[in-house]
Amino acid sequence: MVSFLANTLRTTGLNIKANRQVFMLSVATVAVAFSILGLFFLVHANLNALLSTWSKQVQLVIYLDDGISNTRLKALKKLFDDNEHIDSVHFISRDSAWKNFKSTFAEKSGFVAGLDLNPLPASYSLRFKEGLDRLKHIRQLVDELREGEGIESMEYGEKWISKFENFMIFLRFFILAVGGILGVGLVLIISNTIKLSIFSRREEIELMLLVGATHRSIKVPLILEGVVQGIGGVGIALGLIKLVHLYIKLQFQGSLESIFRGADLQFITQSFLWPMLLAGVIIGWVGSLISINQFLHSEDRR
Amino acid sequence: MIQVFNLIKTYGGSTPALADISFSVKDGEFVFLTGPSGAGKTTLFKILFGGEKYDRGQVLVNGVNVGKISEENLFALRRNIGVIFQDYKLLSKKTVFENISFAQEVIGVPSKTIRTRTWEVLKSVGLTSKKDAYPLQLSGGEQQRVAIARALVNNPKIILADEPTGNLDPEISLKILNLFEKINHEGKTVIFATHSLEMLRAQNHRLLTLNRGKII
Repeated sequence: MVSFLANTLRTTGLNIKANRQVFMLSVATVAVAFSILGLFFLVHANLNALLSTWSKQVQLVIYLDDGISNTRLKALKKLFDDNEHIDSVHFISRDSAWKNFKSTFAEKSGFVAGLDLNPLPASYSLRFKEGLDRLKHIRQLVDELREGEGIESMEYGEKWISKFENFMIFLRFFILAVGGILGVGLVLIISNTIKLSIFSRREEIELMLLVGATHRSIKVPLILEGVVQGIGGVGIALGLIKLVHLYIKLQFQGSLESIFRGADLQFITQSFLWPMLLAGVIIGWVGSLISINQFLHSEDRR
Repeated sequence: MIQVFNLIKTYGGSTPALADISFSVKDGEFVFLTGPSGAGKTTLFKILFGGEKYDRGQVLVNGVNVGKISEENLFALRRNIGVIFQDYKLLSKKTVFENISFAQEVIGVPSKTIRTRTWEVLKSVGLTSKKDAYPLQLSGGEQQRVAIARALVNNPKIILADEPTGNLDPEISLKILNLFEKINHEGKTVIFATHSLEMLRAQNHRLLTLNRGKII
């Protein structure tokens, strides 16, 4: 077993050395294919991060009547705390609202600084848990509150949230569809490249069969070579994507922060990084296994 | 020993490539297989080393029924048969030494043994001085000697030579034939396919003549 392994590794190394050009071509094809997939994941990761930032900003602001009773205030607080769809509840009293307002605008207008009257109402700011039913839950609460007393007005940008939720649904389907099509395309390209690489060695394989090499001793080094091609290609692809990521970050981070309110440029997330490497191994493995099986089947005994 | 009984092979046309042929070759025998081009010589060789399926009949090589061996187990049969072709089938990117070593590497012969055996077999075909040359740097006769060395290196019991002198001039052809004589004297069974009368006249061996798929 040890000698078989050593022999297989040695044969794989010699095969790669002897067929450098074809090997490098296969690695390059895998690298290009996975770079395309990786760039897609990079866009996906950043779009997701951006949407998540935006999504967190969705809130329901409830402005309270100036004369609201303490009992009603406590009842409202309990209502919000008991609602399982609400993520966070933030109360802003009239005084803090006014203080915030003044600190924001005092330097810009002398009028605000000199004003003794506080025209701002107290409010509750509610953030809802993310999910496809979020808008429904907001609407339910709004309808419930409308019937009660002590509420001056409510604000939650219904149209905007509705469009945003629809966009999120569309985007998820879009990513799934594009990712699927891209994945199938990559498998076809890579398996054909491996097929060509095996075909380029048909004379060698024919000779191996002729002198009595076992199927296992022919297959294993070629499969191992396919796996090395897969890992090498994915490694190069990830390196390229990291370079692109660093370049964009260095060149455009400032502009991106100002456009997208402090959003940081993300690299491909762990949940895509490891599957990409695994996909490289599997595609190399399965691609070469299928190709070599087809070849042996056609060559062995017509 | 090779035993062939009522062998029939067709490729889909109306005329069979091999039409109900029977013969046997004893261990250590030298047999000439002759006949015009298209007579079925190459097909017969392919069947003997398990490179081709056949329709009917029975083929036994050293007591093993060739038709019953699965593709995965053909290697065992092939390790006992050395095959030589008219077009040599050498790997052009490997040197003479590497071509011969390759035949041993792929069946798992240890590296030390490979070096010794390759050197011995190169000596027996008189090509030690060309060990680092590439096939395309050699003459036709030299390339054929490399192919013979490669067929011999794993010490098979049977040698199938399919028109090994077909591309060579008469003088070189006779030298190659003498090499096969030597191999036969060492105890190997040799089936030598040729349609050259000069070859057939040069040595007195049993003759199997194929014509239109039949032994005549």
